[in-house]
This record gives sequence, structure tokens and C-alpha cells, in this order.
Amino acid sequence: MALRLETVSIRIGGQPLIAPVSLIVAPGETVTLMGASGSGKSTLLSFIAGDLTSPFTTSGNVSLDGNSLDGLPPETRRIGRLFQDDLLFPHLTVAENLLFGMPRGPRPERLAKVEAALAEAELSGFGDRPPHTLSGGQRARVSLMRALVAEPHAMLLDEPFNKLDAELRQSLRSFVFEHIAARRIPCLMVTHDMADVPANGRLLLLKHATVTHA
Amino acid sequence: MNRLGAAPLALLWALPLLLSLAMLLPAASDGAAWHMALAHPQLWPALALSLATGAVSTLIALAISLLLIGGLSRSAMWNRLQAVAATGLAIPHLAFAIGFGFLIMPSGLIARLFVGGDAPPYWVSVQDPWGVALTLALALKEVPFLLTAGFAVLSRGDAAARLRAEARTAASLGHAPGSAFLRVVLPPLMKELRWPLVIVFVYGATVVDMALVLGPTQPPTLAVVIWHALNNAEPMTNGMGLVMTLLLTGALAIVLAAVALLKRAGRNATHRMLTAGPSLLQRPRATALVIGLAVTAMLALALLVLVLLSLAPRWPYPALLPAAVDASAWMAVSPAPLWLSLLLALAATAVAVASTVLWFETQDRNRDRWVIGLALVALALPQLASAGGQYRLLLPLGLTGTLFGLFLAHLTPVAAYVLIVLAGPYRAFDGRYIAAARALAASQLSAWARVKLPLLKAPLLIAAAIGFAVSIAQFVPAQLIAAGRFSTLPMEAVTLASGGNRPLTAAFALALTVPPLVAFLAAALLGRPRWR
Amino acid sequence: MHLKLTRRSFAGLLGLTPFLSTARAEESWADIEAKARGQTVYFNAWAGSPQVNAYIAWVADELNTRYGIALTHVKLTDTAEAVRRVRDEVRAGKDGSADLIWINGENFHVMKEEQLLFGPFTEDLPNFALVDIDGKPTTRVDFAEGTEGLESPWGMAQLTFFADGAKLDTPPMSMMELLDLAKEEPGRIIYPAPPDFHGNTFIKQALAETIEDRTLLPVSIDKAIFTEASKPLFEYLDQLHPSLWREGKQFPQSQAQVTQMLADGELLMGLTFNPNEPANLVMAGTLPDTTIAWQNRDGSIGNTHFVAIPINSTSTAAAQVTANFLLSPEAQARKADLKLWGDPTVLDMDKLNPSQRALFNHAKVAGSVKKPARTIPEPHGSWVPLLEAAWLERYGA
Repeated sequence: MALRLETVSIRIGGQPLIAPVSLIVAPGETVTLMGASGSGKSTLLSFIAGDLTSPFTTSGNVSLDGNSLDGLPPETRRIGRLFQDDLLFPHLTVAENLLFGMPRGPRPERLAKVEAALAEAELSGFGDRPPHTLSGGQRARVSLMRALVAEPHAMLLDEPFNKLDAELRQSLRSFVFEHIAARRIPCLMVTHDMADVPANGRLLLLKHATVTHA
Repeated sequence: MNRLGAAPLALLWALPLLLSLAMLLPAASDGAAWHMALAHPQLWPALALSLATGAVSTLIALAISLLLIGGLSRSAMWNRLQAVAATGLAIPHLAFAIGFGFLIMPSGLIARLFVGGDAPPYWVSVQDPWGVALTLALALKEVPFLLTAGFAVLSRGDAAARLRAEARTAASLGHAPGSAFLRVVLPPLMKELRWPLVIVFVYGATVVDMALVLGPTQPPTLAVVIWHALNNAEPMTNGMGLVMTLLLTGALAIVLAAVALLKRAGRNATHRMLTAGPSLLQRPRATALVIGLAVTAMLALALLVLVLLSLAPRWPYPALLPAAVDASAWMAVSPAPLWLSLLLALAATAVAVASTVLWFETQDRNRDRWVIGLALVALALPQLASAGGQYRLLLPLGLTGTLFGLFLAHLTPVAAYVLIVLAGPYRAFDGRYIAAARALAASQLSAWARVKLPLLKAPLLIAAAIGFAVSIAQFVPAQLIAAGRFSTLPMEAVTLASGGNRPLTAAFALALTVPPLVAFLAAALLGRPRWR
Repeated sequence: MHLKLTRRSFAGLLGLTPFLSTARAEESWADIEAKARGQTVYFNAWAGSPQVNAYIAWVADELNTRYGIALTHVKLTDTAEAVRRVRDEVRAGKDGSADLIWINGENFHVMKEEQLLFGPFTEDLPNFALVDIDGKPTTRVDFAEGTEGLESPWGMAQLTFFADGAKLDTPPMSMMELLDLAKEEPGRIIYPAPPDFHGNTFIKQALAETIEDRTLLPVSIDKAIFTEASKPLFEYLDQLHPSLWREGKQFPQSQAQVTQMLADGELLMGLTFNPNEPANLVMAGTLPDTTIAWQNRDGSIGNTHFVAIPINSTSTAAAQVTANFLLSPEAQARKADLKLWGDPTVLDMDKLNPSQRALFNHAKVAGSVKKPARTIPEPHGSWVPLLEAAWLERYGA
């Protein structure tokens, strides 16, 4: 269940944004990518997720579980994403948000999964609430659970703790990494903050379009 | 998909519009027509009057709208304000002009209430030489439009929350509510209101029917001079009318360019003001309430007066109520034109919204400039000219006097309005929601339908309601393209107005008001967000 | 110039022109009636008055029953629209959207000059024999130019004033008396601004009553003659305007507005071209039944209005049958009925038999003109643009 990048490079307007990089993220492993703002970190994540559009040109191959993701639209890649904002859909309740990406199945089973997810996030009973009535930290937890109940084979985190205060960051960090590790899926995270990097996690630096190990 | 996505809008709207405008170019080289135009004794005063009326009415409307938004946006009145705005939008301009005119004319309701006497006072109100009556009526009528544009911005699911958060942040930094409004809410709001303001200005400067009822006569606004010239039987005079149209458009462009330059020059000053630090500027809620009530009262009174007028064959001064009530005018409102107008409005709105959404979904936002620019040009030209060009385009194609040709004629202004009103909210939608949805295994179409569409419900419904109202009220293009084979509701109304039968005109004006009213009500009810 | 050449050569190419006239000479009226059956006539007519619209609806019914013709009333705000449309269609080589147009004066002249009209056909209509061409010379002379059979007369018009008799007991019977009245009651009288045709007519009336050499009126004139001849007119207007509504600095855009202001009590008197409009307004309840109507003692400008057939009409047979029906005693009588429309007839009573004449016995109603004056024919069409331009120059801004 590894995420593999093979000589992936991204160019914009003829200039290299990311020089050819090869990388393997093992199942259960979180690899962190750090770099200055605008260096292209988020662009790389978009490329892996499958919704990178013009004016970028790309080359190289991304594969997951040994299958090439080349040409596949984002919805078929089974890659979950977290963003800086929780991006919970405001017009749906918490439960409906959780149900959104859940694989098809009998309704009782899906509802049970929702309950389980809420319990894991310590938000039992919050199912019928609209997202804006939850606190920032609560929404962040729901956002992670939403991504995870869709049973992704990999996770991409784009500065997910950036908008939270220090205390919240700490608790959320543990929450996120616990759950990702428990599901044994590869995870690529982009961040500013050194404190986000999990212990024993690999750290990569993106500088001058080149990715190097720290 | 990219090319295909642009196709409906391009083929049904943009291309015909461009070709119609091209049909006007020969007028520019018509030397004799230029001679006639420049020698016309009313040209320059009429032009000045048009520009002044348009500009002043726009500024007044903007001031009132901002005051209302600023003063009432956090209060319980917010929803009621939206309802008033929707109702106000639904009233056709001509209908309001007639009602408002009857309020302020020397033999009108206000004179009867406050002056009385045997004969009407020697007031100079309606058709006053400085265009004050016209300016006031325009300003009042455009407030609902600007308010609605403001709502469309502020009601976006994500924007409202963010603005609230930012206002709270400003408060925590010591800004009183009024100051917070000025520095936090106003700048992004004004940015979104740019295009609606341009439309309001251009409409005010080029409107024909309101100017005929309320505007000065010697000289009239340039739009009226053009109207008479284009309707004249002499081709030379028609040519002169087209040349004057080009002149008017040029003048409008110059004014807008000057405003843009001024804004750029004033940017430093505004920046300094915005970052000047907190002030104790309170939100003027009381003033806003009073002004809001006054505007609402005027709109309501105009409607009420129309109802009374439609039932009163005679209403001599100084009676406060008509002597006899007679519903025969109502019987004379014919069903066929009503159904035709409704059908055209539904078709034009549906196609306009669908093709606009398709454009936004498939085209890069850098391309927006072209269609929005084209839409503004379409709305900036007096309808006489663009419709005249359209007629000249459709005639050899055999589309005049056909239902399809009539549909195209209605689609032109409707799609222009829908584009302009929808562009801001649609483009400002946070694309990451879609990315998040797709990461949750939703296809592009599914993500659009289940996430984007519901969140854009309000702006879409508002745009549709506006498009619908615009279509129902279309007169000039309909008249030309129908070429005598069809009759829509406004065509019947204007023809009757030329006969001076006020009860009948009032009855038709009211009939014109009802469908858009229903549309706006529907948009308001259906567009109410569940997630405030 | 260029246009005429093109159309002539076009018509010549297809041999249309010779074909048409030959056909007409050979066709009998019975043939035309037969061809008309089943055709549709789009009658382009001003529709600002419910009475007119109702009358045309009656005509449509009758035509359907008697001749199998389907008449559709195309409602116009201004006849010039139809003129423009026909011109554009002919230029583009398209079939006509109009088969019959209610027309006169300047619009007719434009169409005649640009050869946009079908015909001549008028004098071949059976009912034309009943028209009062001697007593009403304007039935064949439109604005001092011959109609040449290209338009068929339909009704008569004459400048008529009206007011509330309760507020005005001695109506002014000449323009000079009107000036005196205006000075007595300033701000209560007005006329619509040219180029509204009622405004034009008011000015023409003043011109006819002030001009020194009346023989100049029916002839084509140029700017030089006009400037000299119109001096008394503008002296009169200069005297009149300061006593008018808003001191003559603002003018209403239409006669309908003037009528409305009269009904509201803001004005003392109104004007119209249909001598029976005041009676119609009384019946509709718009004006009180104390309304009086009058025409200037020494004569009031009047003319005939007509119907004409565009050259590109596809139902010329039915259009001719329609024009003929409009000239029938029955249709003319109904049109002249004050309870319905009240438009005066073009027919000569002496040319009718007693039973036909009886159709025209209409009761007098409140608001009808008590003492009709003689008709002063319209000045030549060349006067109009000169009057409009000069008025605009002096009072336009």
C-alpha cells in the first residue's frame, strides 16, 4: 500500500517548480515536506491528488499500491486530503459530511460507521449539528474522520494544523497521526512548523525546486 | 470539454451580440448623419443631462444602499430588507415611473394631501428642467438592485461567516461597529459592487421610458432624442440617431474611464483611511431604519397608486380617492401576450443561467473579462442601438417575426445581467471544497451538484430572478424583432400608454409586476440558507 | 437615388412591374375576392385607443364571416415603425410582415417616394365610387400631394379643442382669442412639442391663421421663403409661450399627456385630431359630461387618413378586399358611431341610398362638436421639417 513517486517533475511557464524527485512513502509512514511559501509544496500535493491543471506541465509517474495513477481523475485515486481549513460542507450536517465520501453499502451499516467515527472523535451526538456550530478543533476532528471513513489508501495533508492555536495543534496532531498510523496508509504532509513533524518521521526539504533529505 | 463549455454562451449570445454591434459600424462613417447630429440644437445639453442624471442617481442609490446594508446588516431587519429589495426589483421601471409620477405631479397625491385647493399648485415637479424628478425616481428604483447585488455577495455560505469573523476581529481591535463596517466589510463589498454600479449608471443615463414619463422635455435626455430619431420615418434621421448613440456610448465610456483612473489615484488615500486605526464611528442604525422605511414607503405607495389608477377612469383634483371604481381596465388585460411573455422569460432565464454556469465551469477565469466586457457593452448601449443592430442581423436570416428570433432578442439582455450578477459569487467560490469532495470519491459532476450548487443556491436564484424580471420587462428589442407577428405584455402596455388611457396603462403595469414578484419571492424562499 | 435604381432594375429583371399592372387590368373584382379567400392580412395600425382596437376587432370578425379573410391587428405605437420595417424588408428582399398600413402624411410620402407601396389600386375599389372626393378633396390629396391611388381613404381628422365647460364658458374660437385666454389664465394651456404630430398641427393652425400670403401653404417651399413667411407665426408663438404652462419652457411629449393633465385639472384645455375623441373620453368616464368641444371659427386644419398596401405584401388581394370593406357604408357608419369610435366618414351622403344614409344617424352626445368648422387643408409636406427644425432651434433647449 505504498505511495510511490518516480521522477516526478513540475514545470510552470518553462521554469522548473519541482526538479525530478523520486520518493516512496511506506504504509503507515508519514513523510513531511517542508519549504518556503510558494515553493510548490501544495502544487506537488495537487499533482499527486490528481487535480493539477494548466498552466503546470508535469512528467513522471505516481503510483499507489503498485497501480499507476496516471490519467486517473481524483475521485478514483482513493487519496484522502486535509487542508488548512476544515472545509466541512456548510450546507450538510456533521453526519451528512461524514456520509459524503463513505463507500456505498446498506444504510444501517453506513450509519453505524458514522456513529463509530463520531465516537472516535469524541463527538457522539453531534451528528445532526451543522458544522458552524462546532468549535475549530471539533471541526478539524470531523474533517479528518470524514477523510478516513472514505477508506483512502493514502493521505495528503496540506498544513492541516496551521489555523489552530498551539494547544489545539498538539492534541490534534496526536489525533491525526494515531488514526492514520492505525490504518497503515502512507501519508505525505506539508507544513511550516517543525513541531508538526512526527517523531521518527522522515523529513524532506524543498528548496530551489529540489527535494532533499533533511 | 473546454471549447464545448463555451459554445452555448458563445453561439446563442456572444456571437449574435457582436454581429449586431458590428451592424452599427456603418453609422460611424455616415458623414451626413454626423453633420445632422452635431448641428442638432439639443445634442450637448441633452448629453449633459443624461450624464448628470445617470451619475447623480447612481451616487444617491449607492449612498442609500450602503447606509441600509451597514446600518441593518446585523439586525433583525436584515431579512425584511431583503424582502423589500426583492419586491422593489420586481416592479418594472415604467410601472414605478407612472406611480411615482402621480405621487409628485402638481395634481398628484402629495399635492392633494398637503396642499388641496381648487386647482393644482404651480409646482415644477414631473418633467422639471433639471431632471430632479427623473433622478430621484431612478435612485429609488435602483436601490433594490444594489441591495440585491450586495446580498448576493454577503449571502455566499463561506463569505458571510468569514466577514462576521473579520468584523469580530476588528471589534476586538477596538473598532466600533460603524468603523468595522467601513474598514472590513465595505472594501470587499465595493469591489463586488463595481459592475452593478456601472450598470446602474449606464441604465440611468440611457433609459427611455422613464425619461419620457418623468424627465425634462426641452431639452430631454439624449436617450429620448435618440428614441425619436430612430423611430422617425426618414432614414437620414435614423442615421443621425445611430450617430448620437455612438456619441452617448463614447461619453459614458469616458466617464467610466475617468472614474477608474480616479479610483487608482485615490487608492493611497483610501488605504491610509482603512488602516488609520480604530475609530468610534457607530453604525448609524437609526438613520438606516428611517431611510429604509422611507424607500419602502415610496415603493409601496407607487404600487398602491397604480392599483388605484387602474381602477379609476376619473380622478380629478383635489379628490383623495377616485370618485368611481371601475374594474373594466382589468378585463382588458389580454392573456395571450401574458403567456408569451412568461414563456419567453422562462426560456431565456433557463438558457442564460445554464450557459453562464457552463462557461464558469469550463473556462479559465482569465477569459471572463471578455464576456463580462461584452455584457457591459450590451447593457451600456441604448437598447435602441443594440436592438436595431440585432434587427438588421436577423432580418436577412429570416429570424425576425419568429419565436426563435424573439427568444434570442430576449436572451441578449437576460444573459448579460445573469453573467454580471453571477460572475462575482461564482468565481469567488472556494475551489478547495470541490477538491475536498473529489478526494471523497465524488466525480466532477457529483461534486458540482452536491457541494457547489447547494452552496451557490442563493446567488443562482437571485441571478435567475433578475434575469426573469429583465425578460418580462423587455420592450424595445421585442418590439423590433417581433416584427408585427407577436405581441408581448410590455409591447401592449407601451402601445396603450401612447393612447393616454391611464387606467389601462396602470392595469398593464401591474400585470407586468406580478410575475417578477412571484419569481423573487420564490428565489427568496428557496434560497434561504439552512446553515447560517 | 442609389436605392431606386437597384429596386427598379431588380423589378425589371423579374419583369415584375409590367406583370403587375397587366394582371390588375385583366383581373376583375370577383377574381380578387376569390383570391382573397383564405388569405391572412396583417393590418398594421396604431393601437393606442381601446375604441380603435375594438373597431378593428369587429372588422376582423366581419371579414372572416363575409370573405373568409383572417385579419390580425398588428398594434403599433407609431406608424413610422411599419415604414422602417417595410423599407428594411424590401431592401433585404424579404416578404412583407405587413399587408395593410394605417397611414397618412409624411409616412405616406416617404413610402411613395421610395416605391414601397403596392398599387395604384384605390380607384379600382368598387366602394371608392361612394367617396366624397369633391367635398373632401383631402381624400385624394395627402398633405398637398396626390395620393395617385396608392392609398385608400379611411376617415377624416380635424384639429379640435376641448375643455370642461364648467370651468371655461367662452371657448377661444381663433388663435388670437387663444392668446387672450392664455394671458388671462397663465400656465393653464399647452400643446405637445413637435415632432409630435398634434404639436405640429397646432403650429400649422397658428401658421395658417397668421401667415400673410396663404397661397404659399399648398406649395413646396425652401428655407429662404420659409424664413420670411413664418415670421408672423414665430412672433405669435413668442407672445404666446410666456403665458403657457411652465412658461413655455417645458412641453409635454404627447397629446395623451395633455389630455391627462386636463382630466387631472392641471390644464384648462386639450387638443385632438379626432373631432369625436372628447365625446369618447366622456363616455369612458375620463372626462366629465360638462365637457365641450369646438373648432376654430374660420376653419381648422384637417386631413384624411388612409390605408395603404406595402409592395412586398403576400396578401395583396385580401388587403384590397379589406380596404374596400373599410369604405363600405356599413363599416363607415359603424366607425362614425360616437358610442363606438366616432371617426368621421369619407363617404358622400348624396352618393348613398336612403337606407345606407340612415345608418349614419347618430345621436349627439356630450362632448361632441356643436358647430363643425370648415376644413383647412394641410400645408405642403415640405413645410413640416422646416417648421420642426425652426421650432427646435428657437424653443428646444
